[in-house]
Amino acid sequence: MSFQKIWLVLKREYLTRVKSKSFILVTALTPLAFVAFIAIIVFISISETEVEKQIGIHDETGVLVERLIELNQTRYLDVSSEPVDSLRSDVLDGDLDGFIVLTDSVLVQGKSPTLVHGGSGGISFISAIRGDLRDAVREAQLERANVSQEVRDIFETRTGLEAIKLTEEGEAEDNTIVASLLGFILGLMIFFGIFFYGAWLMRSVIEEKTNRVLEVIASSVKPIELMFGKLFGVLSIALTQFVIWIVLYSGISIAAAPIAGMIMEAQMNSIPGGASEAASTFDPSTLNNFVVEPVIFVYFILFFLLGFLIYSAIFAAIGAAVETEQDSQQFMLPVGLPIFAGYMLNTKVMEAPDSTLSTFVSLFPLTAPINMISRIASTSVPLWQIILSVILMIFTFLGTMWLAAKIYRVGILMYGKKPSFKELAKWVKQG
Amino acid sequence: MAIIEVKNVRKHFGKTKAVNDVSFEVNKGRIFGLLGPNGAGKTTTIRMINYILSPDSGEITINGNVASPETQKVIGYMPEERGLYKKMKVFDQLMYLTQLKGMDSKKAKEAINYWLDRFDASDWKQKEISELSKGMSQKIQFIATIAHEPDIYIFDEPFSGLDPINSETLKEIIIELRDQGKTVLFSTHRMEQVEQMCDDICLFNQGQAVLTGNLREIKASFGKNTINLEFDGDGSFLDTLEDVRINNRSTNFAEIRVLNGQNMQDILKLAMDHAEIHKFERIEPSLTEIFISTVGEDNIKKAEIQ
Repeated sequence: MSFQKIWLVLKREYLTRVKSKSFILVTALTPLAFVAFIAIIVFISISETEVEKQIGIHDETGVLVERLIELNQTRYLDVSSEPVDSLRSDVLDGDLDGFIVLTDSVLVQGKSPTLVHGGSGGISFISAIRGDLRDAVREAQLERANVSQEVRDIFETRTGLEAIKLTEEGEAEDNTIVASLLGFILGLMIFFGIFFYGAWLMRSVIEEKTNRVLEVIASSVKPIELMFGKLFGVLSIALTQFVIWIVLYSGISIAAAPIAGMIMEAQMNSIPGGASEAASTFDPSTLNNFVVEPVIFVYFILFFLLGFLIYSAIFAAIGAAVETEQDSQQFMLPVGLPIFAGYMLNTKVMEAPDSTLSTFVSLFPLTAPINMISRIASTSVPLWQIILSVILMIFTFLGTMWLAAKIYRVGILMYGKKPSFKELAKWVKQG
Repeated sequence: MAIIEVKNVRKHFGKTKAVNDVSFEVNKGRIFGLLGPNGAGKTTTIRMINYILSPDSGEITINGNVASPETQKVIGYMPEERGLYKKMKVFDQLMYLTQLKGMDSKKAKEAINYWLDRFDASDWKQKEISELSKGMSQKIQFIATIAHEPDIYIFDEPFSGLDPINSETLKEIIIELRDQGKTVLFSTHRMEQVEQMCDDICLFNQGQAVLTGNLREIKASFGKNTINLEFDGDGSFLDTLEDVRINNRSTNFAEIRVLNGQNMQDILKLAMDHAEIHKFERIEPSLTEIFISTVGEDNIKKAEIQ
């Protein structure tokens, strides 16, 4: 194998792409798109999605309805004076979304009341009402039983949980949520990275085929040299892009806390009155949670690299086997399946990074690039598991590389019909 | 002396015997034509000479060395399926392809500039191929083939798809290269091009080399057994002739191959009875005729040969 030729192919692949407008645009816009994507997810998950509905309370106890209205003024309406029959027609007419009849048995015997509704607001709405009712009933019961204020206070207590992570350096403030979010994002980036750059490589191979430039190249370079050159060329483009993003992110995340602190200090000096209020609602040092340890980025690059090598050779082989992008679809599906599974399972990994399933998918070489990085970012993975998964991935990529090189060799000179899986198998034997 | 030597080469694709025990030699400083219908095995042979494919058995040597990445450097190859990167600038593209052939960047630059100048193409240097006309990109394709100054030039069906002007330019270049002592091998299924240009030929049919040698000697060995007839009048008398093969017939012209030693004077007499004769000439057979008589009429797809 001639490294000089691989280098020439790599250089062309890299330079023609890096200088292109699309590369510059993608590099600049992807972080923005990512931020927007995350923002939308966060927004959806924290915003109250249900539409507020109004529930009529027909209270026969006389003590519950005020408590409920106190809890949520818009949700509950006192309809104790109306007969139950007219409430039913109100619901059917749409004047009320539902009603509950509260009898003494609710208070005395702890019987569950019934919500009559014309279309529920979903599970979360019903459980919200249930929670409100529980609070109201318990309060009323406590009062009825003449319980002392002390005991009532005991019932009021809501014990929270503070988590602290123990590391070599000592105790650190826990940032599990940020860490698992980071793990998820890194896994997502590897998923997109492999697919995006893999498809990029495939298109580049198809382009050489449809341009009919391949045979000229093949009279100067061995197919395997061409494949390696292109593969590492695209890999270099990907790494360039990731390094730019990592540097950008690290810079922003490290600078964020001090800068936010400075801005707040400046505000404090200019508006002496409101300063204490602003300071109490936001602590700039929480921004430090977003600073990612460099070692995680090192792992990120390592796992992306291995994942890319495993999949990209196959993508290159598919590109060599077909003549148009449409023809590549039938091969993309089986190739994409394991990596897509890795992506889907990543939410499970995030929820329980130490479970058996998580451990398995982070070792299985076809899903490891995505799932292992998520685990590394969100929990402490034993070193032997990391090493094992790296070794397994190296063997896998040697295997896919060997297979792909054979298909590539035959495929690049084949024109005309679209090959079947059976023919690809024949090419492998032939190569 | 032989610069390309093909010895007992076989290449099978599954059950298809694309090349079946082929041997021939190409001598230095000659124009060598590889002829035959489509699918006869020419392109497969050429690809093996270029080390794009490897023979199943047999041996191919270039300058005495078995075909390898090293021998690729001394060959300039223009495949039948031609093309360039559409979105790459002319100069960058030529630099890339020339350097892949092993030329260092400084020399490559000089050579490319020389040829761009020669083809009046220096203005296109910074243009992308997609901006060029078909004729222009054909010129760039020539330059890509020849810029690394190889000793051997191989063109697969070079005239197919070329416009007449570029076709003429290519012919001139091929002859000019030969005069500089370079070796040219090209394949074609168009016999008249071979007649005009080739020193030596190899006839391919169904994966086998059926006839090899010096074009003039081959033709002479067939003797003057063919009549070129030009006439004015009704040509239907030609249909009554027996033991002949008429290859190139039009309203007032016919190339008649005489078989079984029939007396040519009888044909002349018959012709004079039916039409006014402008020309009657005994000649050596055309390559088309040689090909047909070598392979046998039943063994070829006639439409492929012109």
